[in-house]
Amino acid sequence: MSNNNDLKSLDLTVGDVFAQNPRLKARNVSVFYGDNKAIDNVTIDIGNKEVISFIGPSGCGKSTFLRCFNRMNDTIDSCIVKGKITIDDENIYDKKIDVVPLRARIGMVFQKPNPFPKSIYDNVAYGPRIHGLSENKDHLDGIVEESLKRAGLWEEVSDRLDSAGTGLSGGQQQRLCIARAIAVSPEVILMDEPCSALDPIATAKIEELIHELGNDYSIVIVTHSMQQAARVSKRTAYFHLGKLIEVGRTKDIFTRPQHHQTEAYISGKIG
Amino acid sequence: MFSFYLLIGILLISFVFFFLGNNQAKILANSNQKKLHSLKHYYGLYSLLASLIPTLGIFFTITICDDFLFAELIKKYIPNEVINSKDYNFTIVLAQINNSVEGLIFGTPPEWVTNAAEIWKSWVIKSNIITAVVCAITIFVSGFFSLKKIKFEFRSRNAVEKIVTSILAVSSIIAILTTIAIIFSVVFESIRFFALIPYDEFLFGTVWNPQFEGAERAGSGQEGLSQYGAIPLFVGTFLISIIALCVSVPVGLFSAIYLSEYATTKERAFFKPLLEILAGIPTVVYGFFAALTVAPFLRSTGSIFGLDVASESALAAGLVMGIMIIPFISSLSDDVINAVPQSLRDAGYGLGSTKNETVMKIVLPAALPGVVASIILAVSRAVGETMIVVMAAGLAANLTANPLEAVTTVTSQIVTILVGDQEFESAKTLSAFALALTLIIITLAMNFYALHIVKKYREQYE
Amino acid sequence: MNKKIISPSDASNIVRKSITKRRTRDNRLKLFGRIAIGLAVCFLLILFYSIFTKGYPGFFQYYVTLDIKFDRDRIDPKGDLSDNSLFDGEASKIVNESLYSIIQPKGRKEKKLAKKIVSSGKDVRIAKMVKNNPSLFGTTTSVKFALDDDVDSFLRGYIKRETPENERRISDKVIQFIDILNEEGRISYEFSDYVLSGSASGNPEMAGIKGAFIGSMLTLSVCLLIAFPLGVATAVYLEEIAKKNRITEFIEVNINNLAAVPSVVFGIMGLAIFISIFGMPRSIPLVGGMVLALMTLPTIIISSRAAIRAVPPSVRDAAYGIGASKIQVIFHHVIPLAMPGMLTGTIIGMAQALGETAPLLMIGMVAFIVDIPNSVLDPGTVLPVQIFMWADFAERMFIQKTSAAIIVLLGFLISMNALAVYLRKKLERRW
Repeated sequence: MSNNNDLKSLDLTVGDVFAQNPRLKARNVSVFYGDNKAIDNVTIDIGNKEVISFIGPSGCGKSTFLRCFNRMNDTIDSCIVKGKITIDDENIYDKKIDVVPLRARIGMVFQKPNPFPKSIYDNVAYGPRIHGLSENKDHLDGIVEESLKRAGLWEEVSDRLDSAGTGLSGGQQQRLCIARAIAVSPEVILMDEPCSALDPIATAKIEELIHELGNDYSIVIVTHSMQQAARVSKRTAYFHLGKLIEVGRTKDIFTRPQHHQTEAYISGKIG
Repeated sequence: MFSFYLLIGILLISFVFFFLGNNQAKILANSNQKKLHSLKHYYGLYSLLASLIPTLGIFFTITICDDFLFAELIKKYIPNEVINSKDYNFTIVLAQINNSVEGLIFGTPPEWVTNAAEIWKSWVIKSNIITAVVCAITIFVSGFFSLKKIKFEFRSRNAVEKIVTSILAVSSIIAILTTIAIIFSVVFESIRFFALIPYDEFLFGTVWNPQFEGAERAGSGQEGLSQYGAIPLFVGTFLISIIALCVSVPVGLFSAIYLSEYATTKERAFFKPLLEILAGIPTVVYGFFAALTVAPFLRSTGSIFGLDVASESALAAGLVMGIMIIPFISSLSDDVINAVPQSLRDAGYGLGSTKNETVMKIVLPAALPGVVASIILAVSRAVGETMIVVMAAGLAANLTANPLEAVTTVTSQIVTILVGDQEFESAKTLSAFALALTLIIITLAMNFYALHIVKKYREQYE
Repeated sequence: MNKKIISPSDASNIVRKSITKRRTRDNRLKLFGRIAIGLAVCFLLILFYSIFTKGYPGFFQYYVTLDIKFDRDRIDPKGDLSDNSLFDGEASKIVNESLYSIIQPKGRKEKKLAKKIVSSGKDVRIAKMVKNNPSLFGTTTSVKFALDDDVDSFLRGYIKRETPENERRISDKVIQFIDILNEEGRISYEFSDYVLSGSASGNPEMAGIKGAFIGSMLTLSVCLLIAFPLGVATAVYLEEIAKKNRITEFIEVNINNLAAVPSVVFGIMGLAIFISIFGMPRSIPLVGGMVLALMTLPTIIISSRAAIRAVPPSVRDAAYGIGASKIQVIFHHVIPLAMPGMLTGTIIGMAQALGETAPLLMIGMVAFIVDIPNSVLDPGTVLPVQIFMWADFAERMFIQKTSAAIIVLLGFLISMNALAVYLRKKLERRW
């Protein structure tokens, strides 16, 4: 068995990288910061309406890889992405692709909540406004209400939609950011350690929310906490030093990891 | 000259005490088993400072005060008929006497002037002797006592450091003194002005036509020939500032947006300093440019279109002032825009905004207080600007909203009135102080407001 | 899914349709930005171009070469080369005679016109020459004299032959004379020896900036000597020694206010306090320097404080740890480390002070000063004020010389700023 493992650790990812009906397909993706290789030849599918976690020790490239899916790495000058990532069989890194519609389909929630210094209403309405998604004011009101409801924030703020978004608590702000992302009707929502800046109660609320959202959206969540991954996601991918080591059902990864490095991380020997 | 040599002498003697102090310390160190508290040179420094500072204080006090004293005392030596004559002016008489004292003699001055001058000269000699003696006593006495103090237990380093700290503290008071001086000089003379001309005429009057008393008396002799209504000046300042803003705000703001959001690092490194150069050009150069290039150009272009552009139009001055102010707006706005956290931009891009949408709908609104503050500061600069308007705008007060005409501004009038002959007694000269007071109040108010805006909205995204 | 929120596929379609319009708007903003920067750079270039094209010729003048008989008895009648003697001498007459011998004017009227061709400083030039070199006496030497400014303007082409005589500043006869001199090859276009070494003068051809320049140097020296120690002392006190209480806050507010006050007001304060109350003489670099020092003080204080704050606490902690006293830490460690920042701030402040005009106008440095000031107590003027005064004169040559003076001023400012930038880069430390 150990021989097998050694062979496998060389360059193949263990487990089920592919999915049925994938929304996003990443094939042989490598990411460089200048001469520094941050992600090495990763292939993985993101399934339809599933929640998948990316876990791994700090600095292993999970966030970098996440940001490839909506081309947020474009904002960093020294970052070069090789390989293909396709949505509906279109390579998102193709020169012809305009990044704006892409980001409307693939939304993002960031580590530290970053609501705009505007009212709660304007925060959520921002996306629909710039994309022209609403036909009139009523329609827009409806979108805002629905988004806030899906983010589990409506009850708490419905009477003060005009107050500043930055005046909410940390957990509420993050839910506001989720509502904001939902308002543009994405297919996939990327979440980069969304709870790391929040207290345990707020974290619990958001984890519950993510679980629900998985019914309507594909969610990719990067997390530091294995417990969180266990709580919210069906599938989990383990990264180590820029390589995708193992992918599988969350239950299996945590109880019967196939790769020795996964096993080392889970049991706390590294990370 | 004498004062200069005396000063040198004082400094030299204090250096002597430096060496004496050091010596004393050496003797103490050699004759004792334990080490002295401080390093040797601190003892010397202590002696030097202790002897120098009181002496300098006395020296400067006497030197400054004796002129005032003499001026008062010399009044006794001015003959009565001169004092009682119609045109008696003490300042002029004093100047005559001073001229004579310094040997500047044109023609034959009246006898009493020469006499008074002789007496003044004798006083100067007496004062010099007294200063020298007093300073000598002070320096030797204080120096001697300072040497006495150098005993074994004496912590001279602490003493020296206390003195140094006081010197530093006193220098910071200079800033306050300056403000007081400014307020004092301007307010005092303004009060005298407002004693002659009522507030409401100044603030709300629409004709500005100051004349000297002499002209008034010699001229038509009509009462109320001078008028001090400052409204045309305010309007002129306002008009030119608006024109300046029309140039500087669009150019400055869009430049700032481009440089902070769109420009590559190379572009930014090249163009940002270039814009800063505009701020470094002396205003007299801008004034020259406005008067000799821009104004004639506008005039001839205007005549092509059949417009009559004055040779000293508000437009010329306003345009050039706008150019000068561009870096104020672009630099400050650039700083403010850069201060908007990247996380907000990321949120915007993540939602699928174009760069334009991110900038105009997220970044600028977040930076707006700072941008507004920078505009207010730029206006404040424009209002206080002098040379461009003096050289390119007119000197005659003209109440108009037409940028093609010549107008004058508050600063321009201040310069015109105070450059040249002044009589501190006439309303005309004093009006310049009243104008200066208005100017200070307006610019300071604008600066306070700008700071207030920035402070109030700063917490927004913390 | 609720009807209110749009399905992802519909949303995608809507977005795709709106893209082109949004991209156009995006490009438009970028274009506006580029236009704005382009405009600003254009203004700068136009300004420099205009000054340079006017100023470059200002460094040159037209001269006429005449053969002068250095007859001692006539030039220096008392024989002692004293000013009195030279004043009584006939240097002007000798020059005129040489001129007449070439152009042959007939009658008093023509002679009068001819006299005006050579600049009225001709006797001063002869006087200087013989004082420096008495061996000239007894020789006949060629001497170059500056031409009168109207003649100069004509030679440059600003006064045209074709204009009718009564509309011109020089008459047909004078043009004739100039032609004769030209034919003999006696007229030359050379680097002006007046611009940089001459002083203020009513005659444009003799005007120079030396006096103003020395005045500027003296004034700036006074300003530096006062402002730098005071500024550094205040900054050190506020940053290192003073406790944060209402008094220090008050001082800080004061300093920030002073930085915002228009420069004219400092001049007014100087006028009211230094001149009126203290009775100091007007127009001397000492008073000018004092006024400029107070004006520059806030700048130096603010940049020095920033420099001091940039020194990391770890340096201070290390020094205290060894047992240094507060004053020792400040003078042995903090100030030397903060010095580069303080110096750059000071240089920038000095550059600003160099270009200031209004406050110095207020304290009277406007007088027509011909002599070059020898000390800070002699009346003088400064370069920007000189420029301001000359700008009023309409003669073409003054315009050129003013522009030339501006070029000199800008040259100094650019070098000072370049020095500051260089120092900042070179002495920048990466903590």
